[in-house]
Amino acid sequence: MRNGLRKTRKLWILLALFCLTVPSFAQIIIKGSVTDAENHQTLPGATIAIKGTSQGTTTDAAGNYSIKVESTSDILIFGFVGYQREEVKIGDRTTIDIALVQDAVNLDQVIVMGYSDKKRTEISSSVAVLSMDKTRDATTGNIANMLQGKVAGVQVVSGTGSPGSESEIRIRGVASLSAPKGPLVVVDGIIGGNYDPNDVETITVLKDAGATGMYGSQANGGVIIVTTKKGKSDKPQMEFKSSVGFRIADQGHVSMMSGSQLYDTQKGLYRDYASGKIDIIKFYNERPLELDSRNFSWIDKMFKPALVQNYYLSARRSTDKFGYYIGASYFDEEGTFKNTNYKKVNLRANTSYNFSKRVSVENNINISANMGKSYDYMDMYYTYLSMPWDNPIDANGKIRYVDGTTTDWWSRDKINPLHTVDNSDHTFKGMDMNYDFVFKLQLTDWLSFSSSNRASLSSSKSHDFVSRLAAGTYHGKGYISEANQMGYGGISTNLLKFNYKLNDHVFSGLAGFEAQGSYYETLSAQGKGLPEGFEVLNVASSEFLIGGLNDKSMMRSFISQANYSYKSTYFLTGSYRIDATSAFPPANRTAHFPSFAASWLASNEQFLKGVSHLDLLKLRLSYGITGMKDIGAYQYLGLFSLNTQYNSSAAAVPYQLPNPNLTWERTHQFNVGIDLGLFKRISLNIDLYNNITKDLLIQVAQPLSVGFEKKWENVGQVSNKGLEITLSTINIKTYSFEWSTDFTFGKNSNKLSGIGTPIYRSVNGISQVYRDGGELYMFILAKWLGVDPATGAPQWEHLDKDANGNITARTATSDYAQATPQEIHSALPDFQGGIASNMRYKNFSLNMNFSYMVGNYVYNFSERTMDNDGHEPYYNQMVWKEGWSRWTKPGDDATHPSVQNSALSTENSSRYLQDGSYLKIRNITVKYDLPVAVAKKMRLQGLAISASAENVFTFTNYWGQDPEVTISSSSWQMPGVSDFKYPGNKQYVLNLEVRF
Amino acid sequence: MKNKIITLLFITSILMWNTGCRLDVAPTDAINTSSLLSTSDGLLNVTNGSYALFKDNIEFGGFVDQNNNYLRQYFQMSDFASDDITCAQVTEDPLFYSFTLTHSPDQANSRFFWYVSYKIINSTNTVIDLTSQLQNPDAATSQLIGENYFIRAFVHFNLLRFYAKPFSIDPTAPGVIIRQSVNEDAKKARSTVQECYDFVISDLKKAASLMNASRGPQYASKEAAWALLSRVYLYKEDQTNTIAFADSVINSGKFQLETAEGFKTYFPDAAASTETIMLIAFTSADNKGKFGSIASMIYSDGNSGWGEEFASQSIREEMAPHPEDVRWSYIDTLVDENGAIVQKNGIETFYIKKFSGQGGDPNLSSPVMFRLAEMYLNRAEAFAKSGETDKALADVDVIRSNRGLENALYNGVLPGNTTALDVVLKERRLELAFEGHRALDVYRNKRNMDRSYWGYHLPGLVATDIDLTKKPQGYANELVEWTNPRIIYFIPVDEVLANPLCIQNP
Repeated sequence: MRNGLRKTRKLWILLALFCLTVPSFAQIIIKGSVTDAENHQTLPGATIAIKGTSQGTTTDAAGNYSIKVESTSDILIFGFVGYQREEVKIGDRTTIDIALVQDAVNLDQVIVMGYSDKKRTEISSSVAVLSMDKTRDATTGNIANMLQGKVAGVQVVSGTGSPGSESEIRIRGVASLSAPKGPLVVVDGIIGGNYDPNDVETITVLKDAGATGMYGSQANGGVIIVTTKKGKSDKPQMEFKSSVGFRIADQGHVSMMSGSQLYDTQKGLYRDYASGKIDIIKFYNERPLELDSRNFSWIDKMFKPALVQNYYLSARRSTDKFGYYIGASYFDEEGTFKNTNYKKVNLRANTSYNFSKRVSVENNINISANMGKSYDYMDMYYTYLSMPWDNPIDANGKIRYVDGTTTDWWSRDKINPLHTVDNSDHTFKGMDMNYDFVFKLQLTDWLSFSSSNRASLSSSKSHDFVSRLAAGTYHGKGYISEANQMGYGGISTNLLKFNYKLNDHVFSGLAGFEAQGSYYETLSAQGKGLPEGFEVLNVASSEFLIGGLNDKSMMRSFISQANYSYKSTYFLTGSYRIDATSAFPPANRTAHFPSFAASWLASNEQFLKGVSHLDLLKLRLSYGITGMKDIGAYQYLGLFSLNTQYNSSAAAVPYQLPNPNLTWERTHQFNVGIDLGLFKRISLNIDLYNNITKDLLIQVAQPLSVGFEKKWENVGQVSNKGLEITLSTINIKTYSFEWSTDFTFGKNSNKLSGIGTPIYRSVNGISQVYRDGGELYMFILAKWLGVDPATGAPQWEHLDKDANGNITARTATSDYAQATPQEIHSALPDFQGGIASNMRYKNFSLNMNFSYMVGNYVYNFSERTMDNDGHEPYYNQMVWKEGWSRWTKPGDDATHPSVQNSALSTENSSRYLQDGSYLKIRNITVKYDLPVAVAKKMRLQGLAISASAENVFTFTNYWGQDPEVTISSSSWQMPGVSDFKYPGNKQYVLNLEVRF
Repeated sequence: MKNKIITLLFITSILMWNTGCRLDVAPTDAINTSSLLSTSDGLLNVTNGSYALFKDNIEFGGFVDQNNNYLRQYFQMSDFASDDITCAQVTEDPLFYSFTLTHSPDQANSRFFWYVSYKIINSTNTVIDLTSQLQNPDAATSQLIGENYFIRAFVHFNLLRFYAKPFSIDPTAPGVIIRQSVNEDAKKARSTVQECYDFVISDLKKAASLMNASRGPQYASKEAAWALLSRVYLYKEDQTNTIAFADSVINSGKFQLETAEGFKTYFPDAAASTETIMLIAFTSADNKGKFGSIASMIYSDGNSGWGEEFASQSIREEMAPHPEDVRWSYIDTLVDENGAIVQKNGIETFYIKKFSGQGGDPNLSSPVMFRLAEMYLNRAEAFAKSGETDKALADVDVIRSNRGLENALYNGVLPGNTTALDVVLKERRLELAFEGHRALDVYRNKRNMDRSYWGYHLPGLVATDIDLTKKPQGYANELVEWTNPRIIYFIPVDEVLANPLCIQNP
């Protein structure tokens, strides 16, 4: 390659000499600007050369250039480090604006790794970087939605569409059974912190221990590093962005019956089992004909298209001495469900000041505040199940009050959810402030010191109110419950860093200490007896309850890392972290987390230099240990809780069994990977990993007869093995048209071992089991065998087992008590990922994002009531899927049992467990960038308008609302269970971006 | 200069690391178990905690279910399995299985009941273990220790009723797991019914001797221990001791039956009544509301509760001959504006009000554990079984004369075609209806339960099948024989899995 380059240069000189001898006839001046094709930032310092000559120029600070050419047939070559070169024939133009596309393989890109920054080539770990250009297609208040389908091995699930809700992120499966399974978030190099998506410059996802080992005990779920924007160019840059649109609730395949559909369906309740005939007289007697024409759509009443708005304004500048970035954003989403919403304001100021070449400080402040209205589960429940024969609004247009004494009301629980929603309030407010202070001191040319510190303060308040006017348990009294939480804490990281070069050898690394602490103080109060129209605690007159407690946790750590590279081809990294935490008994407080990674940048080897079209070939290997401790404080102590009373006197009740041996959960992570770049168009990354989490922190079931359900113990292990593929290609690239695609694929499989006695979990009667050799989130259910064609009765599978537990016979039974619970499918997917397609034609672009998940099973708990075989005749029912049928006579091959012979047919069974595989169109965005020249005339640096549609459509066989359901395992939530959730949103947004 | 800065920074950071960050932290609302007796009121707090666990909804399966408290499950698992209450609404709440007898080892109400029972036992054992070394405790401390013995016995005894065959049916059958110290092995087998009875009796006798400084009807007392002994001996078919301990209570002079007039308002304010021997105190802070009160399933003022289970046709027919019986005060018929009885899913609405009305609240009451009327009825049953019909009928008449039936006394005359035991059991049914006695009273006397009335205990029943002019026919569950294994519940799955020594009920 290098030789080739030299030859070319010689050739150029010859050509140039030749050109000089040709007389010039005319001179044309071409002007224009060079910008980044994706983010439309101008590119100062880009090179413009006339092909075949030595003539050339560079763009100025504003990204503009001017060059003289001889002929309209000349070709201009545009170039910029890290971008693909563009050749453009001049033709009859005098203005040529060009947008350069970043190299798919950008070798020099500096990647923020948290405690340190590294060039892409130096990294030996599995790391994914997303610049905001790739993620800001989604208009959302949180970053997780932006990651959806974009990083291999990262599963993002938005299980609810509730305003302000956060999505769940899982990196490389689920490594822990008890603790929070999400990743650690690091903002601007400091653990924790808050940020607004608009302020984010890049997101780095650290996936293996080679990278996450540095975060030791907090890194079991991976690490997401968020870097906010800083001052960039000498010239002040301002940006304004507005996004305005609307959302509609995505009900998926769920539609509830109309009045006449339900009327027809209910005739089936009056069928005589023996004769198969409908007792039509009794039917008309009990269901007057007028019901047939009563048709109130509760869903249409309770769900409305909702406005979503996001405004963002920022200014940034950087000089040798001083840099700043100031950003303000406002996010406002109405909920699709009545009386729900969310608003957030975020202010950020990042400043940096260089006192000298050796001393610099950074001050970053982020202040955010949010407020919103949540909803009550029962209101959602009744929205779906209230009957279309009931109208919540009376003849005068007023919302009806309905209670147990109301006689002209069909729906089961005699309640009007519209009235309840109007007479209740579930609001929340929160505020969060972070102040970061970073001090950097260059001690020698190879040694530096940095001290990164953050103080944080947060406060939140929830307010639940039910008016005395509302029907239900608080009728005539009213109810108010408020809770405040204040949190404060700090973290300080003090590191010595070195970077030392000796010929082809480069040594770098760091060592230092970190201390962090957090405190929480909560206060809650509730009362009843509120006068109408008032909703503060002061006016409550009876049944007061108060609560409050304080909590704190502490951790201190030693951190170190050493890197070595040889000839920029061989790379070694080792890190070692020691954490000590308040979560464990004194003997086990300290834990050690070593990690090691190596890589070989083969494409830098002499023998591969000659291989044409090979841009990059790199092999990576890493091994390390991360840990987990987040099971809450004091879990090792034996405790009696004082949080109750008896007969108004203090009372203490047994709360926790002691475990003086409790210790850390550790994950041993092994990763191999290959990075390949070809033709400057194809980039391929493949990673294989095997993560084994040992000493799982599990609450091991005790015989209940000891008075405790469980006890924290370190038991068993879970292994997560997986394959991740990321393929980015530039498929078509001409001057005016470009098309690139990104494809991600992640497969993860897990296995439990060493558990001993299986651990069963059960919520709402739906069970999952952790057992040796088993998979996580495996449902245990009676197996549904459909309807007995002879009798119309529901059938489940009964297993006969011999003394060794081997199955000796499988028979169908219609007696639910005889059905044998068995393992049937897991809530976790076999594989998942995303596809992105980016097209640009001149100034128009079309971006599409898809995400997919395959093999995840969803338990449709709501269907038990929405499709209940007549067990609940006073609930509305969902419209059936094509092909479903009800048994009415012997011989019917039906999907649904006879209403008259359906004892326990809606009990939990695999009848409601469905394949939740899906392909979702996450986002389609059409964008138009104003040509730079036109923008210039408007004294703008750039202007773009775009329209985007999100969650446009889901391809799935799942017959329910949305196969995307929570995979969180909380005490009230079983992973993979869908239960009258707040539906997801389809969203349509118009965006305007102006840079000046 | 530079070196000074560095040194300073380093010292600061190391200092912060070492001192700013102490790793010993303790909870702010809990006491370390080992230091319970180190505070002046630790013993009192823990003893009160044992009572609190009868009413509190505590975390189980990772969260606090508003449905789950000891007494709600106790009454539902008892009476929903009887012929006093009928079910008018199928439900996902496991209370349904008490009606249908489709029990399973993993039904949440039974699992919780078992769990919280043993948590109470753990609490009492903690006190009993910690105080075992105390020399000459004062009267107040003795009272507290005695209360712990009482509670331990009471809770074991209540477990027996749900999980073990009645003593009268098979004293050698597996009973429950006896826990008498917190230091026992977690894995332990069930003792026999006989052994459990012996343990309970021994605890109660010890409790009675220790309790000499009564704290009021909200707490255990010497008389409460006698009352329970009378009940235990009754179930044990030991007539002499049943009579002796009932006598001890009756003759203590501390209690008096409510009059017919007083009985109408007895349950809303039982703590103030001389009839009450012991109750579990619920204050307004313990109002469980619609989702967790005992009342909410059986009564509603239109808003307060679900109101889905009603007084059965069976008990109403038993009471029908005497509309003047003041015990009708606790059955409330819901009628619409035309005077017709409101139906729920085809079942007529007869609300039950024994757990409502404290402080005027439809969901609040302090459930009575022991009251004087039961002592008369225990004694009457023991007399009846001892062949002393006159004494048995006399005791029954004491009850009837205080319930508005002074004109319908037996006066020593046994009606035709009945036995003294029939009379006593009928009176016991009416007097103690909905108070958790009925199902066991039937089965321990080796009688069958007739549930041939409309209700969703009949498997597969749908509202459109109901014809109130007839009796249901051809459904399973219409008659529950005392030999049916489902007169008791399965041992909760959690116990059997984690404690292989504990065998499951058939």
